[in-house]
Amino acid sequence: MNDLNPTTEHASVTQENDEAKNASLAVNVSSVPQVHTESSPTIELRRLHRFFGKTKAVNDITFSVGRGQVFGYIGPNGAGKTTSMRILATLDLPSYGDAFVDGFSVVNDPELVRKRLGFMPDSFGTYRDVNCREYLDFFARAYGLVGRERNERLKWVIGFTGTEKMTDKPIRGLSKGMKQRLCLGRALIHDPAVLILDEPAAGLDPRARIELRRMIRELADRGKTILISSHILTELAEMCDAVGIIEQGQLLATGHVDDIQKEMQNEVELTLRVLNRQDEVAAALQQVASTVRVDSVILDGQLVRFAFSGDMADQAAIVTGLVGAGFQIAEVSARKKSLEDVFLQVTEGLVQ
Amino acid sequence: MSLAVEQPGAVAESHRFSNWLDALDARCERFGDAVNPILVKETRQSLKSRQFVATFSLILFAALAWTIAGSLSMMPQIYTSPSAPRMMIGYYAVLALPMMLVVPLAAYRSLESEIDDGTLELLSITTLSPWQIVLGKLASATLQMLLYFVTLFPCLAYAYSLRGVDLPTTLLIIGALAVAGMVLTVIGLFFAPIAKGRGGRVMTMLVLILILVLGEYGVSALVIGMVFYGNPLSSTEILFAVISTCAFALVASHLLLTATAAQLTPETENRSTAIRLSLLAFTFVTVLISATALILLRHRGVPVYLITLFVIASIWTICGAMMVSERDTITPRIRRELPQSFLARLLLTWLTPGPATGMVFTVSGIFVLTVLQQLSVRWIATSGAAAGVAIAQLNNYISTPGVLYASYVVGYLVVVRALMWAVRRRNNPRVEVGLAAFVVVAILAALVPYSVQLHYYDYQQINYDPAWQYSNWAFTLFTALDQGLPSWHVQNILCGAILLSLIAIVSSWKVTRPRTIATPENVRRELSQSRS
Repeated sequence: MNDLNPTTEHASVTQENDEAKNASLAVNVSSVPQVHTESSPTIELRRLHRFFGKTKAVNDITFSVGRGQVFGYIGPNGAGKTTSMRILATLDLPSYGDAFVDGFSVVNDPELVRKRLGFMPDSFGTYRDVNCREYLDFFARAYGLVGRERNERLKWVIGFTGTEKMTDKPIRGLSKGMKQRLCLGRALIHDPAVLILDEPAAGLDPRARIELRRMIRELADRGKTILISSHILTELAEMCDAVGIIEQGQLLATGHVDDIQKEMQNEVELTLRVLNRQDEVAAALQQVASTVRVDSVILDGQLVRFAFSGDMADQAAIVTGLVGAGFQIAEVSARKKSLEDVFLQVTEGLVQ
Repeated sequence: MSLAVEQPGAVAESHRFSNWLDALDARCERFGDAVNPILVKETRQSLKSRQFVATFSLILFAALAWTIAGSLSMMPQIYTSPSAPRMMIGYYAVLALPMMLVVPLAAYRSLESEIDDGTLELLSITTLSPWQIVLGKLASATLQMLLYFVTLFPCLAYAYSLRGVDLPTTLLIIGALAVAGMVLTVIGLFFAPIAKGRGGRVMTMLVLILILVLGEYGVSALVIGMVFYGNPLSSTEILFAVISTCAFALVASHLLLTATAAQLTPETENRSTAIRLSLLAFTFVTVLISATALILLRHRGVPVYLITLFVIASIWTICGAMMVSERDTITPRIRRELPQSFLARLLLTWLTPGPATGMVFTVSGIFVLTVLQQLSVRWIATSGAAAGVAIAQLNNYISTPGVLYASYVVGYLVVVRALMWAVRRRNNPRVEVGLAAFVVVAILAALVPYSVQLHYYDYQQINYDPAWQYSNWAFTLFTALDQGLPSWHVQNILCGAILLSLIAIVSSWKVTRPRTIATPENVRRELSQSRS
């Protein structure tokens, strides 16, 4: 355990073998006093592992999210997003490693983490015979809010989530979108600094998605640190400051969406409309593009499509070369990889 | 349209009244803030739930129906002769069903559905502790019981006015109902988080229903006996029965609630110390009841003594098997809270979680209890509480089986500890697995030597042979009760148990002394801020 995290102390009094450690629940870390500063990340995952038998649901994940940032956690179903979010929300324990919220360990100081954290699970249970206001009021009380403070928080949350018209409606009769709003309200009721939202947009109609995006951005502007998961990259691209792509429990890429996209943009799909000698285009392309890679050439009538790895100058050189070789080119178009393409390129669609 | 001109006096009066209402509202608000949130939520839910409305309506209807039907059936003697017993039994039946069946089952379902629906997870990340959650459920069940009781109170008063059942008996009936209802609700809550799968849920539900029905049957038999045949106890005995029942119910409920809260607590937190403390309190009170029964009631207290002996033996066996099966990993969180001074470490280390400390705790507890039991047998023999039973018989029936039982339990616990240590090298089972392992070890320890001896003697009838049956608790205990055992054999078994436990303790000596660690600076700062 120590070799995974040299700065932390082994919690176990006994020396178990490695397999036993795999099987047993984690319990290490942060026994060494830490100093937390304003510049420290609000969310930090340090070499997080979670094993269920032989399944490595989370396998050595490390990343951090700064204050007021929105971090998108993206991966296919079964990638380990929910497991790592549950660990962060103190609902599960890591097999090794630790996670920190505001510098407090989720393993050793869960009650301090809970004060700072609002969690919205992918599916949430409701109570029978309870209306929306009572539901929020109950959780406000459960978080220790009393008197005027509770009433003010309730008022703010109901206003923010736009649930004013349904306060007296029973929860079980609400639509999916309304339930999501209510659940977000519940997560916000104690004014947490950190929000963990597990697939909040799943099953929402386009309008509700846009509305949710607006709310998340507004919360980030108010200084909340948000970790939000989805299995759709485009869904998060617009609202996240950074994203992490996870598959099979491992973090494959992290950073700003544009940076990841740029990193993956080593290929462009170029389409040419060639009016003559289409059969000779493929051979001519190999000749004129000697310094850059051209492959997957497809002929579709007058259209010639091919994958091309090079910059704009190389692109111009190819077109000039073909025109010089006597080809009549009427149209040139380049298509960059979409976020879906990037996602598909990074992940392999593997499920454990 | 007419304009009403208000008088200045009336305005001032209205203003005062309004102020008074505001003050009352503020007080109610403050009271609501101080009350457990679960209680507030469950009360709101209950008042709207169909189950509560149906039960409440049925109670009202049944009470009304019995009042009319019962009274009419006793006409015209109702005017001249005491008629309370019959009416009282009817009202008892109406009240017993919701208090001892509906409410405990509703409490069980309430906690179980929190787990099933995932709302318990949402609750567990709030600032509510598992204890608060469990107590909130209990409080809400108690409130429901109180409502049912208040509804039936006029009927009970009516029955009392018909003469035939005195006030102490009426109060005893009400008290028995209240205590039984509370204890059964606690049992219901205890059962709720035990099983995880669907099959287990069905099993626990069935076992719970069986316990509730048995409980209702037992209390009903007691109440009917008291109402129809009068109270056979003297005033001293009644006082003792009431106090000891309440005390026992209190400590038993505390132990069960602590165990329930522990089931809802994450593994990184200390779940053992509270249970061990609660077990000590339970044992102390039970021993006290037993001793008081012997001193106060003499030979009439011997049944109480034997019952408490059985209860203590069972509870220490069950708890011991689970304590020696705990995880041997102590989280930094727990290590921060370990006792620090030499004296505190000396006295309180045995309350620290872990199988090694659990072993020492259990062996020490069983040792002390066995010594107490031996002393109590001597006292019974010399004080005359034995009512003429010879000391040799007392030795045969109580003293020797006590020593043998304790020795076998300790011996098997050592084996269970070793087994669970091996199992935990590759798995992370629940502590209940330790209890199952204990049962298996006890069965095998009895069956294997018996079968081997039987085979050796060509499946003929066999007599107890100490050489073969050392590990066979069943055969040894029955032989001891039936015809007595030579003292050297009992001593050998006792020495074997002591030797095994010493080996187990010495081999894990290091683990029984976990060191405390420093609390991180930011945590210390945060905690001191929240305290101030």
